[in-house]
Amino acid sequence: MMKVLRSVPVLLLLILCVANMAFSCVGKSIEIGTTGSVQQEVLANIIAELIGERTGTTVKVVSFKSSTEAHAALLKADIDMYVEYTGVGQTVILQAQPLADAAELYKAVKERYNQELNLIWLKPFGFDAAQSLGVTLPAEAAPVVRKDTLKKFPALARLINKLGGKIDQQTISSLEKEASNGQSKQVAHGFLKNNRLI
Amino acid sequence: MRPLLSLLALLLLASCVSLQISEVSDLVISDQQVWQGEVRINGVVRVTRKGSLTLLPGTRLVFSKFDRDGDGIGDAELFVEGEFVARGTADRPILLTSGAANPQPGDWKFLYLDYARKAEIEYLISEYAYSGIQVHFCRAQIRSSEFRYNVDGVRFSTANISLKESYLHHNRHGIRYEERGGRGVVQRNRISDNQIGIFAVTRGAGRTLFELNDIIDNEPYQVKMGQQQAAALDFPRNWWGNVSGLSAETVFDQRRDWSLGRVTATDPLDRPINATRPTEGD
Repeated sequence: MMKVLRSVPVLLLLILCVANMAFSCVGKSIEIGTTGSVQQEVLANIIAELIGERTGTTVKVVSFKSSTEAHAALLKADIDMYVEYTGVGQTVILQAQPLADAAELYKAVKERYNQELNLIWLKPFGFDAAQSLGVTLPAEAAPVVRKDTLKKFPALARLINKLGGKIDQQTISSLEKEASNGQSKQVAHGFLKNNRLI
Repeated sequence: MRPLLSLLALLLLASCVSLQISEVSDLVISDQQVWQGEVRINGVVRVTRKGSLTLLPGTRLVFSKFDRDGDGIGDAELFVEGEFVARGTADRPILLTSGAANPQPGDWKFLYLDYARKAEIEYLISEYAYSGIQVHFCRAQIRSSEFRYNVDGVRFSTANISLKESYLHHNRHGIRYEERGGRGVVQRNRISDNQIGIFAVTRGAGRTLFELNDIIDNEPYQVKMGQQQAAALDFPRNWWGNVSGLSAETVFDQRRDWSLGRVTATDPLDRPINATRPTEGD
């Protein structure tokens, strides 16, 4: 029980006001989308752990059923980023013709996403996503981030780009295998620790 | 006339004492209030710039666990822009805790001092919060207190903080700070068994003095620099758990990322300070 005491000599004034005030949150938080596969879960958690560990920012991983859903959420600012594949970006999102050369494909989607959607493709992780996904469409996987998120967190691009080229074919296969039991967060943490990134 | 006034005063006093509140929702305090006993907080308590809240020894603030914004962090909090005085005693510490049956770090948000006019804290325990305490843009004196089982034990930014003789343990970050031109003194504390003992997030320039502390058994890192901490930082005259001082393996700095500054720990102590554990148990 609480007793409220007042030192004011004569009048006792107790003011209890109900106010639906939402004060500033704990800090700025970031939400990362995934599209359900083990590979997506691992990559999203690698980014989440890296950001959380290096900046102290709260990061939440949110699941979607497809790239299309995640992309829609990204456009609406429901999330800040997700990992996309250049081939999907080119043919599904942008409805453009496939390109055979991986570097040209990356350059093409990066440019159009930036100009038309205000979204930024960061550096690809380094593995051949087409091969890893067992599809024929030439593709790389890379984080796609809202431009306003990068403005809010100026150090974010440089931080996430530390992952650029760090995950080759063998590494992603190994990480997926490790994470197949649902331990994506722990696997991601271990990867970052082993690579001295956290 | 005089007996009548005395009787009236007595009645008034009696009525004050009998006004008992055990539970509050969202509450704005713009006057001077003194609390004691146990209060369950089911919302946001805000002490405005004009307001003052004093917690007497033995006061227990129990924050309900609820998550309005769905960010996974509890939203009950105590937010102070005015005066906050919480002076417990060794025998009767003030407790800020979670109301959950199975309490976890982050059940409630924080005790947050933002441009507070006055902040004096002694013998206070803060546990199971996102941040046991956050101090921003103001002075705060914290002594003989305990911050445990939080995400951040003590967190401050752009503040003039004095943190002494306190015990910070079993948090994710014992101390998390962004100096940003502020000054601080962190002395004679025990900072142990956190995942990160001291997390220097950014903009540290050595204006916060960490000395004469026992900083031990924080794993994986005793000291960690955040992504934008480019300047070197020294943590002189502390006990790091062994006579050889701060081990490089327990530091995240330039040796792991060239863009960061370097952590040094000059003149390490060769024995513990035995910084007090002021409020163990509750």
